Amino acid sequence: MQENNISTANLEQCLKCNLCTLVCPMLAVNEQYPGPKKAGPDGERYRIKDPEYYDYALKYCLNCKRCEVACPSGVKIGDMIQTARIKYGSQARIRGLHGLRDWTLASTDFVGGMAAVPVIAPIANGMLGTGAAKAVLHGTIGVDRHRTFPSYSPQKFETWFRKEAAAAQESFSSKINFFHGCYANYNYPRLGKDFVKVVNACGYGVSLLEREKCCGIALMSNGFAAKAARQGRINLNSIRKAEGPVLTVSSSCTHMMREEYPEVLGLPNEDVKDRIMLLTRWLYPKLASGEIKLRFKEGFRMKVAYHTACHMQRMGWQEFTLGVLRMIPGLELTVMEPNCCGISGTFGFKKENYEYSQAIGETLFAEIREARAAAGDSVPFAVATECETCKWQIEMSTGIPVVNPVSILAGALAD
Amino acid sequence: MKFDVIVIGGGLSGCTAAAVLAEAGRKVALFSEGLSLHDASQGPASHKDQSRHPYSALAAISAKGVTVFRGDSIIRAELSQEGTKVLRAFSRNLGNEPLEAAAFLLATGKFFSRGIISNMEKVFEPVFDADVEFEPDHSKWFNPDFFAAQPFESFGVKTDAAGRVFKGGKAVENLYAAGQVKAGAPMSDSEIEDSGRKAAAAILKLF
Repeated sequence: MQENNISTANLEQCLKCNLCTLVCPMLAVNEQYPGPKKAGPDGERYRIKDPEYYDYALKYCLNCKRCEVACPSGVKIGDMIQTARIKYGSQARIRGLHGLRDWTLASTDFVGGMAAVPVIAPIANGMLGTGAAKAVLHGTIGVDRHRTFPSYSPQKFETWFRKEAAAAQESFSSKINFFHGCYANYNYPRLGKDFVKVVNACGYGVSLLEREKCCGIALMSNGFAAKAARQGRINLNSIRKAEGPVLTVSSSCTHMMREEYPEVLGLPNEDVKDRIMLLTRWLYPKLASGEIKLRFKEGFRMKVAYHTACHMQRMGWQEFTLGVLRMIPGLELTVMEPNCCGISGTFGFKKENYEYSQAIGETLFAEIREARAAAGDSVPFAVATECETCKWQIEMSTGIPVVNPVSILAGALAD
Repeated sequence: MKFDVIVIGGGLSGCTAAAVLAEAGRKVALFSEGLSLHDASQGPASHKDQSRHPYSALAAISAKGVTVFRGDSIIRAELSQEGTKVLRAFSRNLGNEPLEAAAFLLATGKFFSRGIISNMEKVFEPVFDADVEFEPDHSKWFNPDFFAAQPFESFGVKTDAAGRVFKGGKAVENLYAAGQVKAGAPMSDSEIEDSGRKAAAAILKLF
């Protein structure tokens, strides 16, 4: 836009209006954090002069991108902070107990793959659920004792798909690609199965990518940027080899592959970016135009409060999901104010961040409790969101079930 | 996506118009590139006070049923062959999804919010390339007296009596303008609100 820009994140466009400062969820609860304006464009001008000006308090940035949504000038504040952390912050090494924790939390593929060894999943689930194990993790590597680890599935989604579903997909003349993400693969294959059910009901078959790695968001935010980039290259290459849309169910994986690969990790994706999207982004226009018609269950009833996850808000796609949900007969929808839940992926799992995490989420939790109370008990109630870590945080903090919109849609389809 | 009215800009005139239109029962979408600077002037103390929260204006119109696209902006539009009607618009975040409406309201403000952009050759409106009233002689854009009224402050889109915008010399029948994006002297906040209300009233006559 402006001529002679030297930065890639629109640094020069910052007017110092402080709107980002006003909306930053971390700054509201933690005075040690300088806030997005100081951590982002203000700090960047100093860092360009001398990397010594790097402030370690930038570790508090949740990377929620709410600053970017608030910015009237298009400054990519969140990207700037992430990039600074990678460029000037200490690169993470698996050193000490906290280093081990960060690596474990970030390595979704490795840990998920281990847990998928048949004997290990039940043992791991059983152990991680006990108070004793939680106390040990809290006291040693620093995973907060309040946290509940998402349980691991004894069978990976990929394994189920190859064994049970792949053959049936051949009967469809057109297919779409599915980037399932770690959560559907290792923790909750049901979500992947729901995706297959919905896409098949739309008249399309599903195929998996040649190779899928974790999108790398957890690695990036825990300081393992080089590894995140390696995984990103593998994913982009697989996507390049696949034809047609690559659909997803997780808002954060989607945002990562579309926006953070090029802006933060330096992986160009212009050639494939438009093909990477959430299922609802792909489906809504086709349902609205009548190109796809879905048959719904008679007598389906559900009350849903939709939570716009931070990265969903940044992509601005919530209306596609809401549009799809509104088409389900018998579904009553309320849309909550977009507020951060505070978990920010692995951030809230660390014991030193627990209090911040819960304080940030409180506004959202209060609205959820209110919606739950107003819904009554005559009809099933759930919070809907595309983000799996929001799901863990909201379920832990309110005890109210959180469901991916794709699963709601799958549950409402006529058999 | 289809709406009755699409408001472009979430500042004072855009939010006011959206509120009036929603209260009158219209299906309204509002695209706001970031938050309004009116909210920033309240200072950090407003942060913990929900009633003065920076999202308050957008949250308030959202509560009235307006579909608010935060952090998104309309980047281009398609007009009828004669160039007298906006058929559909497209936003940065929604990509190729066509955004259709009976009426569009341009409430993007002036230079500061980039509703109007200038370079050495011309002054233009970036979304529709609507006709802009400005002084062609660059040397007359500024008054050397810094504190005097500046001629460039009056540059803005040309509108007819009903508030409709011109493009290529012809009035566009379903494209209205409100607030500072319009040609004319800088407005006070109450004048901006009033401009939003008037535009909403003109748009309501279409239904």
